[in-house]
Amino acid sequence: MIPKHGDRSAAFLPEAALIAALVAGFFVLPFIGGSADLFGRILIWGLFGLGFDLLFGYTGLLSFGQAAFYGTGGYVSAWLLTTHAIGSVWLALAFGTLAAGVWGVLIGWLALRRVGIYFAMITLAFGQISFFLENSPLAAWTGGENGLPGVPVPRIGFGAGSFAITSGWRMDTLVAAFFLVGFALARRIVHSPFGAVLRAIKDNADRTAALGHAVGRYKLAVFVIAALYAGLAGGLLGVFQSYMPPEAFSLDTSGQLVAQTVIGGVGTLVGPLLGGAVWLYLEQNLQRIPGVGGLWKFLLGLIFVLLITLFRRGIAGSLRAFWRRTRIGRPDSLAGRGPATLESTLPSLPPHPPLPSLPLAAPAVRSAGAPALEARGLSKNFGGIRAVQNVSLTVERGTVQAVIGPNGAGKTTLFKMLHGEVTPSAGDVLFFGQRITGLGVTGACQAGIGKSYQVNQLFSTLTVRENVRVAALARSLGAFRPALFGAATAIPKVERQVEAVLATVGLEGRADLLPGTLAYGEKRRLEIGLSLAAGPHVLLLDEPLAGMSPEERVATKRLIARLGEQSTLVIVEHDMDAVFELAQRISVLANGVLLAQGTPADIQNDPAVQEAYLGGLHAHEPVGG
Amino acid sequence: MNLLEVDRVNSYYGDSHILFDVSLAIAEGEVVALLGRNGAGKTTTLKTIMGVLRAQSGSIRLAGRPIEALRPFEIARLGVQLVPEERRIFGGLTVAENLELAALTAQKPLSIDRIFATFPRLAERHSSRGRNLSGGEQQMLAIARALIRDAEIILLDEPFEGLAPLVVRDLVEVAAKLAAEGRTILIVEQNVTAALDLAQRVYVLNNGHIVFEGTTQALLGKPAIMKYHLGV
Amino acid sequence: MPGLPLLLAQAFNGLALGSLLALSASGLTITLGTLGVLNFAHGALFMLGAYAVFVVLGHTDSLLLAVVLGGGFMILVGLVFERVVIRLYYDRPAEDQILVTFGLGILIVEGVRFIFGGLSQRVPLPSWGQGIVSLGFMIYPKYRLEVIGIVAIALFALYVVLYRTRIGLVVRAGIEDTMMVNMLGINVRRTFMLVFAMGVLAAGFAGMVYAPLVSVDPDMGGPFLAESFVVVVIGGLGSFPGAVAGGLIAGEIISLTSAFNPDYSYVMLYAVMALLLVVQPRGLFGPEGRA
Repeated sequence: MIPKHGDRSAAFLPEAALIAALVAGFFVLPFIGGSADLFGRILIWGLFGLGFDLLFGYTGLLSFGQAAFYGTGGYVSAWLLTTHAIGSVWLALAFGTLAAGVWGVLIGWLALRRVGIYFAMITLAFGQISFFLENSPLAAWTGGENGLPGVPVPRIGFGAGSFAITSGWRMDTLVAAFFLVGFALARRIVHSPFGAVLRAIKDNADRTAALGHAVGRYKLAVFVIAALYAGLAGGLLGVFQSYMPPEAFSLDTSGQLVAQTVIGGVGTLVGPLLGGAVWLYLEQNLQRIPGVGGLWKFLLGLIFVLLITLFRRGIAGSLRAFWRRTRIGRPDSLAGRGPATLESTLPSLPPHPPLPSLPLAAPAVRSAGAPALEARGLSKNFGGIRAVQNVSLTVERGTVQAVIGPNGAGKTTLFKMLHGEVTPSAGDVLFFGQRITGLGVTGACQAGIGKSYQVNQLFSTLTVRENVRVAALARSLGAFRPALFGAATAIPKVERQVEAVLATVGLEGRADLLPGTLAYGEKRRLEIGLSLAAGPHVLLLDEPLAGMSPEERVATKRLIARLGEQSTLVIVEHDMDAVFELAQRISVLANGVLLAQGTPADIQNDPAVQEAYLGGLHAHEPVGG
Repeated sequence: MNLLEVDRVNSYYGDSHILFDVSLAIAEGEVVALLGRNGAGKTTTLKTIMGVLRAQSGSIRLAGRPIEALRPFEIARLGVQLVPEERRIFGGLTVAENLELAALTAQKPLSIDRIFATFPRLAERHSSRGRNLSGGEQQMLAIARALIRDAEIILLDEPFEGLAPLVVRDLVEVAAKLAAEGRTILIVEQNVTAALDLAQRVYVLNNGHIVFEGTTQALLGKPAIMKYHLGV
Repeated sequence: MPGLPLLLAQAFNGLALGSLLALSASGLTITLGTLGVLNFAHGALFMLGAYAVFVVLGHTDSLLLAVVLGGGFMILVGLVFERVVIRLYYDRPAEDQILVTFGLGILIVEGVRFIFGGLSQRVPLPSWGQGIVSLGFMIYPKYRLEVIGIVAIALFALYVVLYRTRIGLVVRAGIEDTMMVNMLGINVRRTFMLVFAMGVLAAGFAGMVYAPLVSVDPDMGGPFLAESFVVVVIGGLGSFPGAVAGGLIAGEIISLTSAFNPDYSYVMLYAVMALLLVVQPRGLFGPEGRA
């Protein structure tokens, strides 16, 4: 369903296919026990589900409270119409959708303070709060248990010549039109830069934040988008059946949406539509069968449980996976996929060709004389433990500096403070003279500090190219930009950045593979590539050689050396050979305190440093022989 | 026959290859030290022995019996006890409850009096919750948990890390007492001096490979090796 | 401004409701803390307990017998669910666990609806629960007072199990650090089955006790599920004291607000939850960090 990169003529293929399917469905349905009414309802659920799929399928946020927005949209527009506050159904729908969006901002802001299980619980609770509000305190407006009857049908045109969209095929066409527009919009969102960030968030939210994206704002944005879709669908429901039911707010409604989406296929956009078709069709037709009629929902529940347990992907998802596999072939049948040899993938040794310069970089720094990175009196206490005590060090622009020390010395904590992951208890971090303490990882990355992790933090569901693109997008878009339109792959500077980084780390040949199929050393290089693609001025490398075989070590050291020629690097490493080879300056930490600083020669000859490594703490009386 | 035999074990963390054909052997009653800088694979070795990590190849035998495919609780019941690096005592449980839990599945647990005799400080704090203990007391409790199970072999992962010198001294005394009782101990440490005081034999790990094996005396007699693999 | 008698009555109602919520939320939070599974079938299981009592009381007059048999039934259901379904999900992401328990909840509700029909049924008050009691300063329905007593005993029993038995020790340690418990020679997975059953029993027992107070219908579990979630959020994930405190607080909020304006009683509960989320996201006794 995703058009190939650059294949413009196929840009509207999915929409065309969908129209064809809908038209076919509309005509076939009456013969298999359906009706125009059923058709319309399925489409409304499909529209409701488009937003939910963006939220859950693409961003990974499972909400059990979408009914809150469905009901809000429906009731606001129904109320406006039944009280004749507004005459135009279109305008009322717009207001309803907007109201749902506002409610979405409020609930989203509260609910997104937590993730995962907590988030699901909280959205469920807010769905209930909406239900209760409708039921009692606001019953004067909402009709309480009775709902709002008498919602008028929309009209096209003005005055006497206007054309009413009555129930039947006219209403169905209207709803289908809304769905199609909604689908086209959702599809564009998915392929936009905004959508690329959403997918990254679903895969690894922390890394996405560390690469410079304001994850919280993206989550809130998609939450509101889902609320808007829900609100529009709710409004349409009221218009469709000329009545706004209180069940629109119920937990059952939220639950049904989730179930339908899972059955139809999460993350496919048409999943909710398919799932809705299955659900509503079975609901209507099973009930007619004597004896088992009452079990229709039980059966649907059983299908649901079986699907999650056995076929996680749902109907559309399984179809898509099958289609992809037959078209593309299995990953290891890809041409050129021989055993990963590092020599073949990294540009060869001397003379060093200059590394391709990156088109996108952090904003230029003003103060020319200031050191690239400076820690001033950094301290960090965890409860009673003083992990880092009053550490000051400077990293000059264009140098490679290493931080070493025995286990428990505080190197990890220091690194985290430099990078914004941890807020210091005292002291400051200065970046080219500018105070960046407390900016957090996203702010630090946007300012120009990148970090590559000791344990790979890659996006496992994105290809190598897409991985790097996420990082480059943060530089291009800034911390947050709702770039909902335009393809994520169509920003020239971003694409050039991605190509440059892939060339630098020698992964051009692997660009369209998933990280899972890469060799370990290649994954480490991708890890470095991610932090590089954000265009940092200072790059922190946390144990870049960790877990590497001797051959991989050699190649990666070369890469680091070449990076060091162009940027400022700070490295934490335990491989002493590598440290002495690569670093121009070394800082030694022990027990949270800066023990020594100097050139490799200085450090090697420093007795205090030897003592720290070999003796640990002060000598105690030897016990026994 | 050695009590513990690790034979050409290859261990991974995810798909990061950490241990390369690591072999070591420990006889009953021995105290053996496993040294190396961090990142060398010392903790990975202990975790592999304990079954927390699965070795991809190679074998691990306890008194001749292969244990590399067993789950941690099964290995614990056979008498291997890991005292992990982060201590991991249960903060919400009291000292007494921590010990009681540890003794649950022990075949012949030591009496609690015996434990308190070895660790008088824990006796004083027996009703304090784990989270209210100092670092040194937590480390003692972690070791006491292994002791109350009367473990055949105790694996100590960096027991002296992050502790004040005086506390380290107390702990070394405790460890020496245990060693003198004839217990089998494999100690992983970065504090080389303390480890060498306790151990009779030493293995040195570098980047996942064993690069030295021999008596403590032998290692002390080769300052170049010590400096290269352990120092700076 | 409601009068003192009304406020007092509502305060007692709050205790009755709150203690039920506390019991139910305890089961939920222990399952969540130990197994990491958020049981979305919790409301359905509450309802199942109520129906179990309804069925037994159709054949006998003894509520006690009904509770005992019903309790045994709930334990069986819990063991079966864990063994057949939940076990498959320990290594799967949290969202999957939520989805499958949600699905199981649907199966339970619809199964009950098919067997008993959708109309609500009355469960008779036990003979020792009928009538009213004079408390000196006010009179109060006897059964509601007894509910407070019964649930207090149940909570006490749960407390004893958690803090005075071996399995409770394993559960409390397991909530903190499952792998370490493993390394100390304990087969934690075997314990999971019992813990899950405990959680199911807690939900079902709350339903059993609650049944004579209201009419039972297949959909009675839905609101209860939401309220239990709120209690866990207020009390903190995985905390038994939190569930108890949170439950009592929740019960009082609902009941006392209803003395002023019944329309807002449940809304007020959710508003408190919202406030807590802003001020102290981890709840009263919850663990640090985001869950």
